Amino acid sequence: MPAVRETVDQVLALDVDKYKYGFETTIESIKAPKGLNEGIVRYISDKKGEPGWMLAWRLEAYERWLAMTEPTWAKVDYPKIDFQDLHYYSAPKSTAGPSSLDEVDPELLATYAKLGIPLKEQELLAGVRKQGEPSLLDTADGYQSMAGRVAVDAVFDSVSVVTTFRKELAKAGVIFCSISEALKEHPELVRKYLGSVVPQSDNYYAALNSAVFSDGSFVYIPEGVRCPMELSTYFRINERNTGQFERTLIIADKGSYVSYLEGCTAPMRDENQLHAAVVELIALDDAEIKYSTVQNWYPGDKNGKGGVYNFVTKRGDCRGRNAKISWTQVETGSAITWKYPSCILRGDGSRGEFYSIAISNGRQQVDSGTKMIHLGKNTSSRIISKGIAAGYSQNTYRGLVSAHRKATNARNFTNCDSLLIGNRCGAHTVPYIEAKNASAHFEHEATTSKISDDKLFYCRQRGLSDEEAVALIVNGFVRDVLQQLPMEFMAETQKLIGISLEGSVG
Amino acid sequence: MMASFSEAGRVGNEMSVAVTRTEAEEQLVRQFAKVAPELPGGARVAELRSKAIAGFALTGLPHRRIEDWKYTDLRTGIKAAYPPAVCSQAKVDEALIRAALGTALAGVPCIALVMLNGRYVAKMPPRGQEAGTGWEFRSLAAAMGEPDRSWFWQNFERDVGGSESAVQALNTAFLTDGIVLKVREGARLELPIHVISITDAKSPVALATRTIIRIEPGAHATVIESHVGISHASTARQATAVTEISLGEAAEARHIQYLSGGADVVHLGRWHVSLGKDAVYRGFQLTAGVGLARNETHIQFTGPDAKLDLSGLMLGRGKDHIDTTLVVNHTTTGCEGRELFKAVLDDRARAVFQGKVIVAPEAQKTDGKQMAQALMLSEDAEFDSKPELEIYADDVACGHGSTAAELDEDMLFYLRSRGIPLADARAMLIESFATEALEKIEDETLREAARAIAVAWLGGATAR
Repeated sequence: MPAVRETVDQVLALDVDKYKYGFETTIESIKAPKGLNEGIVRYISDKKGEPGWMLAWRLEAYERWLAMTEPTWAKVDYPKIDFQDLHYYSAPKSTAGPSSLDEVDPELLATYAKLGIPLKEQELLAGVRKQGEPSLLDTADGYQSMAGRVAVDAVFDSVSVVTTFRKELAKAGVIFCSISEALKEHPELVRKYLGSVVPQSDNYYAALNSAVFSDGSFVYIPEGVRCPMELSTYFRINERNTGQFERTLIIADKGSYVSYLEGCTAPMRDENQLHAAVVELIALDDAEIKYSTVQNWYPGDKNGKGGVYNFVTKRGDCRGRNAKISWTQVETGSAITWKYPSCILRGDGSRGEFYSIAISNGRQQVDSGTKMIHLGKNTSSRIISKGIAAGYSQNTYRGLVSAHRKATNARNFTNCDSLLIGNRCGAHTVPYIEAKNASAHFEHEATTSKISDDKLFYCRQRGLSDEEAVALIVNGFVRDVLQQLPMEFMAETQKLIGISLEGSVG
Repeated sequence: MMASFSEAGRVGNEMSVAVTRTEAEEQLVRQFAKVAPELPGGARVAELRSKAIAGFALTGLPHRRIEDWKYTDLRTGIKAAYPPAVCSQAKVDEALIRAALGTALAGVPCIALVMLNGRYVAKMPPRGQEAGTGWEFRSLAAAMGEPDRSWFWQNFERDVGGSESAVQALNTAFLTDGIVLKVREGARLELPIHVISITDAKSPVALATRTIIRIEPGAHATVIESHVGISHASTARQATAVTEISLGEAAEARHIQYLSGGADVVHLGRWHVSLGKDAVYRGFQLTAGVGLARNETHIQFTGPDAKLDLSGLMLGRGKDHIDTTLVVNHTTTGCEGRELFKAVLDDRARAVFQGKVIVAPEAQKTDGKQMAQALMLSEDAEFDSKPELEIYADDVACGHGSTAAELDEDMLFYLRSRGIPLADARAMLIESFATEALEKIEDETLREAARAIAVAWLGGATAR
């Protein structure tokens, strides 16, 4: 059944022409000169007032990066990036470093308010939010009373401008701050864990990030603590010709729990912007980390001009027994996405999960998926991936599930479904399944299809209109993923997905 | 380990630049220079051969850095290149062939076309029976000497191999003989044509043969291809075997390959199948105990509404490495594709399944289903699976699945609680797993023959 016209229009309009977050903030900023060399690495380290070992670590990464070549295996196509034509550091002038909200430039607060992150109100009024224009990160009507407060680390270009609710979190022993602060206040923790999941030379972009990362969030949940509120980072690229290289490090000590949300937007610009982040998660015995992303970087215009190149390395390490790491991502933005949030299931009995909805439109290219690496005994993983391609976009799921010889009783279930809207786009599935162990039970299934006529007939027979019937069935298509999102994200995402999927099955 | 993707995904060309050649690669190039003057075919064939070996010399043997060969590294798999088999005028001993095939398969009535040491030697029809008159064949060596007019040439020159396929290139370069078979328009062959390739060499040899089959519109045929060893000869062989089948409009073909020979065998197979409008192709690949096997099948739909059903059973033990790689290319509307591959793996055996299905924008209404399953009988067995979908059309139903598991304890327990001894219970479960694939063989006689081979092979696996 061809997609209903109205719905197709709605989907086509999504993001590409109606990117809501494309405004630019005029704010004075300090920038490093363009280009990348050892001097820039030293400059960044110096700006942050980092200890010597950190600088040495960066320089080592830079050396390795020089020896590496850009990966070309992903099913994405873009002109070669000139790494010398970028600013590797940009910070709003007014903020020398994260401080209390009262000291933050009002222009910045206004920017975040416009993005739906009313930092100030949030802290002052604790959960009572203004109902402004709908946005991704704002909590929606009806969920207000249920949704807890969210602590936010706001990252603007290269620096973290503010982190909210810090005192309250500190009471519970939770450390939530920018990674620059963590380097000053908790260097032993940073030194112990930084690069232990994603080593400097892991891949080209991880090496680049290791050399020039400017900020990001740091979270440490002490033993036995259940983090009292959702933690969140909001990334914003504002400056022209800057790359954003943030580094997030989350450590959940024994028996702790944390739910972490991440959102990102960028202004509409004709040139491409580079975003190469590294996220490292470490879960010790019985700890659980739930990491959710709504990625809404500027995707470029409908002819593929501009947009963010999102080359991200995200990896979680279930280092302890019965640890659990869960990745949930809703990918709607970016011109090019190259991202494989992964889990290393090292601890016996640990569990990894990956839930993803990737929507591509216009000229977007998505190559995303996950890696589940079973090393410990009795480890299990689950992958649910839903890809929706429209316009001229290419949407690829690429995933690896592997069980090593000693990973007895490893279990994996993978399900990847794709929907296509129109025949100028492509949906691809490239799973790698490696069972090196007889007791591993791996199941993988993938489908690409349109809605079955039988299902439609059934719904219509019950009195639903065509459009309603399609919407009902299609919303069922992504339900498994939506259910994994924290309450704070779910309402808005559901709205977003609702628009993009309604009746859109080709 | 962590960089698994990046290692995996690198495209071959950029990675293979400036690599030192392995001993085997150099041997192959040297061998070609030595044997080229004796190989069949005129100047035209010689030119194709030179082109092919030049392409091979450039890229060498495929290795794990080349995405399509990620799990099957020929550089490590082929340490030394065996010398090409020499032309022997040895008589074919029918009893020997029967022994090589096994009683079950030898008992299937068919027209046998026998190749010994890579040369066509005899046609052996079963007594008192003929396949009918609607077909003709000749040896490839003869066809290569023929003038330009025949259809064979278009087919032969289309794919020389070279840098894009080392297997095809080696096959073209060293090709000694093969079978060229045509089934005429509307003909229905009563008996299967069985192409048997054996070797009686006393020392390790290399073989390069090709089967080219054309099934004209409306014709029906069954073709069996067996690559087997003779017990008293050297079991070591390295073979490249290319099969090209083109099916005309509404033609139907059943195509079965039986591959065995033991731990010393390297078999590099490549099938090209093209299906015309409304054509039906049913292929089956039975691989039982081969040291290193790669069966690479390329399917091309050239006309709408054709049907493909391709299946196989991989049986491995010891250090067997069996690779099944498919590329199913849907370029036209309304075609159906069904693929089912199963592997039973014991000891340190490893099976690889790579199944790529491409649906072009114009291939609307494509209906594709694919499944790859492995049953692991030993802790050390390995199954690597990479089913892949590349879809550009929106009105399609495509799916794939892949599973890997050991025998189900609950099922074993159930059978034992009914008084069935453990060994028997295991045997029953393994056989039933394999049967699902074997059921895909439509012809009952052939199915039972394949089952007998599988059961005999499994006997070793289940007896413990």
